[in-house]
Amino acid sequence: MQTSLYLDRGTWIHRLHPAVKLFALFIMFWSVFWVDHPLALLPVAFVMVLLAQASRSWPNFYAFRWFLILMIPPTMVEWMAVYRGGAPVVNLWIIHLSRQALLFGFGRGLKLALLLSSSILFLSTTTIEEFTTSLVTFRMPHRVAFAMSLAFRLVPLFMDSALTVVQAQSLRGYDFNQGNLLERMKRYVPAVIPVFMGALRRANNMAMALEARGFGLGITPTSFIEYRLERRDIVALTALSTMGAAYFIIYYTGYAAIAAG
Amino acid sequence: MKLTAGHPQLTAPSASRERDRQAVSADKLVDATGDSPQTQPAVELRSVVFTYSGAAAPALRGIDLTLKPGEMVGIMGASGAGKSTLAKCLNRLVPAFERGEFSGVVRIHGRTLEGARVSDVSPLVGMVFQDFEAQLFSTNVALEIAFTMQQIGMPREEIASRVEPALAAVGLTGFAHRDPTSLSGGEKQRLAIAAVLALRPGVIVLDEPTTDLDPEGKAEVFALIRTLREQGLSLIVIEHEADELRGCDRLLVLRDGEVVAQGPPASVMTQLELLENCGVHPPDLNRALAILGIRAHAATVDEAEALIRRTFSISSDSTAPFRMMTAQNHWKIVDQAVRRTNPDENPILALDQGDVGRGSPASPLAEAERLYFSYPLGPRVLDAINFCIGPGEFVAIVGQNGSGKTTLAKHLVGLLTPTEGRVLLEGCDRTTLRPAETAHKAGYVFQNPDHQIFASTVEAEIAFGPRNFGLSEDEVEERVAEVLRAVNLEDARERDPFLLSKGERQRLAVASVLALRPRLLILDEPTTGLDYREQRRMMGLVSELNRAGIAIVIITHTPWLVAEYAKRAVLMRQGRILFDGPVDKFFQQDQLLRQSSFRPPEVTLLASRFGLAALSPEEFASAIRELADTDKS
Repeated sequence: MQTSLYLDRGTWIHRLHPAVKLFALFIMFWSVFWVDHPLALLPVAFVMVLLAQASRSWPNFYAFRWFLILMIPPTMVEWMAVYRGGAPVVNLWIIHLSRQALLFGFGRGLKLALLLSSSILFLSTTTIEEFTTSLVTFRMPHRVAFAMSLAFRLVPLFMDSALTVVQAQSLRGYDFNQGNLLERMKRYVPAVIPVFMGALRRANNMAMALEARGFGLGITPTSFIEYRLERRDIVALTALSTMGAAYFIIYYTGYAAIAAG
Repeated sequence: MKLTAGHPQLTAPSASRERDRQAVSADKLVDATGDSPQTQPAVELRSVVFTYSGAAAPALRGIDLTLKPGEMVGIMGASGAGKSTLAKCLNRLVPAFERGEFSGVVRIHGRTLEGARVSDVSPLVGMVFQDFEAQLFSTNVALEIAFTMQQIGMPREEIASRVEPALAAVGLTGFAHRDPTSLSGGEKQRLAIAAVLALRPGVIVLDEPTTDLDPEGKAEVFALIRTLREQGLSLIVIEHEADELRGCDRLLVLRDGEVVAQGPPASVMTQLELLENCGVHPPDLNRALAILGIRAHAATVDEAEALIRRTFSISSDSTAPFRMMTAQNHWKIVDQAVRRTNPDENPILALDQGDVGRGSPASPLAEAERLYFSYPLGPRVLDAINFCIGPGEFVAIVGQNGSGKTTLAKHLVGLLTPTEGRVLLEGCDRTTLRPAETAHKAGYVFQNPDHQIFASTVEAEIAFGPRNFGLSEDEVEERVAEVLRAVNLEDARERDPFLLSKGERQRLAVASVLALRPRLLILDEPTTGLDYREQRRMMGLVSELNRAGIAIVIITHTPWLVAEYAKRAVLMRQGRILFDGPVDKFFQQDQLLRQSSFRPPEVTLLASRFGLAALSPEEFASAIRELADTDKS
């Protein structure tokens, strides 16, 4: 079973210094954070497409396609419902839809999709060892960094065991999809308990194996793979910093604000 | 790489000490005697007692053990006898990780482990666990091997120089860039061993390293263990199949935390009652000899054959083909098996109608017709499968991991939908039925019972299924009582399932599926991880269900279990069925079996030396007696 999103393609993006990759992830989040207008988000989306192509990460985007697509409409609806600015174009009972509400809602949906995309891109091009290294580069203690990156490795394993548990219970005549939303959530108890207990057991086994393999000696581990800042890293850092700065300026000058009226 | 380290290598931690003064790793391993490591025993345990915190009784009660450098010791015993606890003492998991009361002395090459942390000991004692999924953390094979070396602060060049030799030592050259999760079970376990070898530890401890492996993986790992032994490594191997430990210098049998037998294999392995009492599978060759009145240890089939020929004065020409005609018993067995099932002649006539009385040959319980299956964008998992099971049958499906056994079984209960072809359940197209709707027709027990246990009492766990079908409380109560009796868990009715032993949890899982009274019961590796006693009990239960008329499909890797319990065997490889027929015919398919690394039980091999067919020591013994009698007359 595939347990990580990492795709071993060896492109220049894969070869970037881990810290640069983490910085890139941060800049994506940062850029998206400052602007609301969908048009202003388009450049980020464009960069994302270029990077996905360059790193040949499309299979992972394909695997998450429904998440990406389904993320936008519900977010749109949700934000349109609470957005209260601008002159309503549609005015029906409790529904007051302005042009701004539409733009804002769509922007929010796009934002979420972009956040997910940048995470997919990051995980497709970064091994867990690189992830650990990148966190350590930014001064996170090695133990904490290792635990965080290990968590990413565990998520797919838990998903897999959850699937098995759901199958096992449905073969005992159990129907998970009965009743309203709250009842349905309650009905997942026969699945949640075995997954949770399994996770505890596995965590214990892992902790044991980790210690048996020298983890937690209290010294700074050496690294088998040497990560050096290359020229491409400097170029990438410069480009990313420029992008980050540009987005802050766009926010600060109010260019990408959703104009009233 | 030189694998004969034979003494502790503390260089790695001390190298790191230069850079990091906080490192205390090696300092704590005090040299107790001052003798040079070479003259010291590799491992020394003196009166080790350990009680897990909260436990009523000690898990180890005064263990003494000495392992000389280059020696290989096998440790056997039932689940809960203290085998793993003993192993954990050797690398400080007990008592530094597992909490509890510890007393006694553990020395590795003369150095006491007292006060050391688990990670301090990792360069000295390599530990390989049963759960190979939980001991691999890295993105690729090379990094996996580098893991511990990085942790102990070994310089990069040194790590780099050790990775390749370690891979070569376990036969994984060329795998450096593979994702460990993409490896087979046997490869994963060899990788775990390589990661340990790279540290050049003085001692390697393997805790049931092959329990979760298929036959090919098992064979790979035991071949590797033999090589390591020849290279002079000190090894401790924990196992519950005695067969695999015949090559050890010494064996130790544990019961309730105490050593009850110790000595060379020849002396320990002839104590058949003791082994059986301790939950260990006694070697079948010795069992067969014992039934024939020969109290001796046979390390190989050749030895056993010679012993029997000598004792019963059966000359080697007695194996001539015409002999087989006179060996009545042989033909009786074959005849019975053929009557039981012969899919070549009639795929459906696989049952003894008189015994079962349900359905007719024309109405199988489940049927797969030209079944193809592949995952989206994935390779083909099932390739033109035709399979059929009738009422009351007992079928064992065997084959390597990844050969499609579980995939086929999941189609029968509707968890997967065929890409092509169709699956019928009692004549109805499976795709029109949801799995939950047919749970009372075809039951499925997953490999890991913990994937389904969630209730707070055994009783509630069993009642879950019947309640899902909306049965009345009286009916539910009746079924709970019925299956509790069937699986022999009546005393555990009010207990918390999570506190039961693995064997009991496995039986509970069977019970909770059984409560729906299915006519077909599929069990995916129901004996994996169980000790011999629990395996026997589980299989006894399954045969009893079969005698009561329930058709059984069992997926397994254990040859003796197929031989002694199943009536029909199905061999799968790469999504195809290579053999489907009676069990004794199955074990005659030398070439097919060899290709699939599926070894017939040793008694079956031994019987074939005499031109006989036998699937258990008992069958073999009675066939030999008849052969000896006809020889005389």
